[in-house]
Amino acid sequence: MNKLSVQNIDLLGARIIDPVENIDEVRDLFIRDGTLLHCDDGIKKAEKKYQLKDHTILPGLLDLRTHNRVPGAVKSENMKSLTRAAARGGFSSILTMPNTNPASDNPATIRYIQDRIKQYSSIKVFLSGCLTLQSKGISIAPLGSLKEVGVIAVSDCPRTPSNNQIFLNALKYAKMFDLTVIDFPQDSYLSTDTDVHESALSLKLGLRGNPRLAEELAVQRSILISSHLDIPIHLSSLSSKGSVSLVKKAKEDGIKITSDVSAHHLLFTQEKISSYQNCSKLYPPLREEIDRDALLEGLKNGYIDACNSSHDPYADHLHDIEFDLAPMGAIGLETAVSCFIEALRLKDPYPELALKMSSNPHRILGLKLPSLVPGGEVDLVIIKNHEPWTYDCFNGESLSHNSPLHGHLFSSKVVMTVSSGIIAYTNI
Amino acid sequence: MNWNRKSLLAVEDLSPCEITFILDQANSIKNKKNKNLASGSLSGKRIINLFMEPSTRTRVAFEIAAKSLGADIITISGEASSLTKGETLKDTAMNVQALGAHAIILRHSSPGSPLFLSKIVDVPIINAGDGAHEHPSQALLDIYTLRERMGDLKNKKITILGDILFSRVARSNLWGLLKLGAKVTLAGPTTLVPKEFEKLGARVTHNTQSALEDADAVMLLRIQHERQSASHFPSLAEYAKVFGLGQESLSVMKKDAIILHPGPLNRGVEIESELADSDRAVILKQVSNGIAVRMAILDLCINNSSSKNHE
Repeated sequence: MNKLSVQNIDLLGARIIDPVENIDEVRDLFIRDGTLLHCDDGIKKAEKKYQLKDHTILPGLLDLRTHNRVPGAVKSENMKSLTRAAARGGFSSILTMPNTNPASDNPATIRYIQDRIKQYSSIKVFLSGCLTLQSKGISIAPLGSLKEVGVIAVSDCPRTPSNNQIFLNALKYAKMFDLTVIDFPQDSYLSTDTDVHESALSLKLGLRGNPRLAEELAVQRSILISSHLDIPIHLSSLSSKGSVSLVKKAKEDGIKITSDVSAHHLLFTQEKISSYQNCSKLYPPLREEIDRDALLEGLKNGYIDACNSSHDPYADHLHDIEFDLAPMGAIGLETAVSCFIEALRLKDPYPELALKMSSNPHRILGLKLPSLVPGGEVDLVIIKNHEPWTYDCFNGESLSHNSPLHGHLFSSKVVMTVSSGIIAYTNI
Repeated sequence: MNWNRKSLLAVEDLSPCEITFILDQANSIKNKKNKNLASGSLSGKRIINLFMEPSTRTRVAFEIAAKSLGADIITISGEASSLTKGETLKDTAMNVQALGAHAIILRHSSPGSPLFLSKIVDVPIINAGDGAHEHPSQALLDIYTLRERMGDLKNKKITILGDILFSRVARSNLWGLLKLGAKVTLAGPTTLVPKEFEKLGARVTHNTQSALEDADAVMLLRIQHERQSASHFPSLAEYAKVFGLGQESLSVMKKDAIILHPGPLNRGVEIESELADSDRAVILKQVSNGIAVRMAILDLCINNSSSKNHE
């Protein structure tokens, strides 16, 4: 385990927000042997006391879309760098996507990843497995065996089966094992070989455009199938205005659909690629202001349930190439929280942050909701309000540097992450 | 005016004055009025023609232009380079610079690749076509040819007909013509001429007659099979029938409207063979004007770069 040794600490004078217990007040917290207390038990002395005026403490955050490169591309990210990046970004837990190499479609690969987690992780890492073998959308993956070794969700992210029959059967099959199904809604044909959002800008740049329709067709398919099978489906990383409308309608109709959005899509639009900036080439692509507005509204109104980091690391040599040849994706674990706070522009963003990056992600995965009530093994994040800082992707924990936020000035900063009762990151 | 650019990456970047300046320089060269250029203004310079996609006209015209200015020019083609061994474009360009190149002329299938290279190497980069993005030297020679025949292009109506979606020539011409005050119509099948082009300042139509009837010049474009990954129209025969230019098109067109084509020409598809060879077409004029225009481009960019390096 790669964790800092301090286990008995006093967190004094911070604002505590816990949506699960409906707490929002200034209160002292005490951690003793990894357990949270609301008063000093006097048995063990604190090794460290933190004065946290102007800080906010939230229950542990969980990222719903982290792309893991173990096994497959450890020069881009290894388990140590991945989990340290997550901890630095405020996440006590992450859910990794199954697009490893080899793919996470078999128990042996899952066990290999779990072994690396055991050796190197400073936080909790939950694993998703492939919905179909190698995420090719041809044969259903061994979901029962994957569940048995510890997979909690299944997905073909960043793809989705193009064959409706396979998709339908895979979902029916997954239902038996009570696995969370995460769909990455992109029509395979309309999105193949595309580089950016389809618009006047893509025409100007001569790049292949991904139309909103590519996403909206797939979103509607999942909504119809969710309704037909009466199973929950979680839609990952919405990017278009139309998708938000479809999800809103589905929720109003009582269909078991949940969704999330990446923090990058809350802050940026396609203008970020107007000079062929590879680091802003994301999947789904950054779209237009009307889309960003709809995503923000959807998030605030609860049609979109969560915000993810869409952390997708690529080593410099894989990324520093021609725009259309460069892979889609950007790192995001270390910036997602600050990005969320900045994009929402709320006077008080913390209750929303607790809901969209802590409670709801846990709820979607069927996990126990983290809370700041005494007695449990504690997961929490401490954020310093109004603490300007400039993100330097070359000075982070991730081995990769493909971020659209390099040099960005943020206003609030994660200063401590506690996972399973132990400090996984601090810079206080 | 003073020319302040080291590289020519896109027509979109140029001001109307810069476009006119290049064209005037080309005119001096063509009419042998510029004695400096004739005496070899690029003598001792080494230019690398880095052509990662097939080309006849552009490659040869740049070679002739460079040699006419006294430069040494070496052409490297994609299939004959280490790119086939897995070397990246970035490494290839850095090696070419290390070999003493004073300029790189780049043709590449990736949009934005000249801009990418311009941030990596110090020498001038001349864009000779980057995917479906831009082909500045082609547009400048097209505009040169239009000006030669029609004079001032302000308020002149130019129709570009064909595969606009995948055409870098269409985009560069669109920017150049709009900057000089012309009115541009983009025409062709709905699948190859998205309405969103209107946001870039063009008129869009899918009706051939409407595209042709009031045009002062019609620029035809080849179907870019190599960039298409899906079906955009049923067959070349149907394309020729609906959008091809034939003798009967002349009855719709203005009597003095000229026909341009950047080549390579697909006779019987975008234009009937007889029409391509008729005196309405200025296709070969475009090709020969391409030498003077490219001489002007090379002289301005490379000599500007050298004079800055000496400072």
